[in-house]
Amino acid sequence: MTVINFDFKKQLDRIIGGDLHSYCFQCGACVGDCPSARYSKRFNPRQIMLMCIMGREKELLGEDSVIWECTNCYNCMERCPQDVRPAEVIIALKNLCGRNETRPDKVKQMVKAVEKTGLTGQVTPAINKIRAGLGLDPVKPVPVDEILKILR
Amino acid sequence: MSEDLKQRYTPFFGCMISTKYPQFEAAVRKTFPAMGGELVDLDGYSCCPDPIYFKAFDKEQWVTLAARNICIAEEAGLDIVTCCSGCTATLKEANHLLHEDVGLRDRVNARLEKIGKEYKGTIEVKHIVTALRDDIGLDRVADTVVRPLEGLRVAIHYGCHLLKPSKVMKVDDPDRPTILEDLMNIVGVEPVEHEEKVLCCGKACMDPDIPAEMTRDVLRSIKQLDVDCMGLICPTCFDEYDVGQILLSRKFKEKYELPVIYWFQLLGLAQGLDPEEMGFKRHKIKVNPLLEKLAIAAS
Repeated sequence: MTVINFDFKKQLDRIIGGDLHSYCFQCGACVGDCPSARYSKRFNPRQIMLMCIMGREKELLGEDSVIWECTNCYNCMERCPQDVRPAEVIIALKNLCGRNETRPDKVKQMVKAVEKTGLTGQVTPAINKIRAGLGLDPVKPVPVDEILKILR
Repeated sequence: MSEDLKQRYTPFFGCMISTKYPQFEAAVRKTFPAMGGELVDLDGYSCCPDPIYFKAFDKEQWVTLAARNICIAEEAGLDIVTCCSGCTATLKEANHLLHEDVGLRDRVNARLEKIGKEYKGTIEVKHIVTALRDDIGLDRVADTVVRPLEGLRVAIHYGCHLLKPSKVMKVDDPDRPTILEDLMNIVGVEPVEHEEKVLCCGKACMDPDIPAEMTRDVLRSIKQLDVDCMGLICPTCFDEYDVGQILLSRKFKEKYELPVIYWFQLLGLAQGLDPEEMGFKRHKIKVNPLLEKLAIAAS
């Protein structure tokens, strides 16, 4: 017998856009134009929505979860007749990975960079020199203290 | 031009353009005033924050940081123009969410209160090409062209976040867009349709192989056509196709060397600016063949 993990669904519902998975009626309109589905043997947004409906926490949030193959192109959102916004549900799932620490290193690095400098790109003397050569001012500093205050 | 005819905006260039591809910022800054646009720089902007990695970490924190950036523009009473499709995705989506979801707005404002800010929802976020089309008008853009880039064939690549989600972006038809074709026509080049025109560049996909296959298909679909370069409007797509072609050539042992150009750089050339000022030297795939064809020499 299949047991639905309602606790997991409740967690997902609390993230912005996560609750929309419940409106999915499995038509598959999201699959045809999905670039990840075209290139990956295992990526299928309809199946991911089904796993959300079933509350399949382990597969969705685990080490090797397929959700990280989404390209965030939003084609699925254009096609969905139910306004499920599958790409946004997938991003909500990614948010839940934070607690399990199964986020890819790239995500951790980018977040750390924003918390440290307020930017994801590195401002170096070299880049400011290149900017000066193009007639541009140096990159403006970011008040990181403000960033940290509102993130807490 | 008299002051009251000027369209004033605050520009949001974002991390990638500011710190990796400043030549795009230079191209925008050098071409915009001639069209009657004014860019008012404001202090304090942070990363938008990025709609892929930071958003994957925590959507509520993502929308909070975006709201703080929007507040800076609100305080100055200026609409934001974005020059990066990623920043557009974040700031436009955040502005949309904060308009729609009162509960979210209250939670975000409770956080912003700690730094004396409040999101009010009084300004718009526009991708700079829509500011040109909808506010300034394409006629005024065309008026600035003194050297039409005739004879150049350009394969357009739209990128995803300029157009989608279309209900939020409201830029163009996501399946049959024309805005970049219109802009290409204005600078005198011939926009060339290719089979994978609206395929994603794949950059956000965190699998090591899939993005390479995507860029390869886009480049192969362009390679069959006789074009001089690829023309686009997104620094992330640029990353995938400029330095990306070198990585791709290595990976598949195939030769790819198609110049990739940000639309404002083409506009700069069409406005008669020196190629040196457009920062082409910073491109990994050299644009010299194209400049030679146009008979434009760098000083």
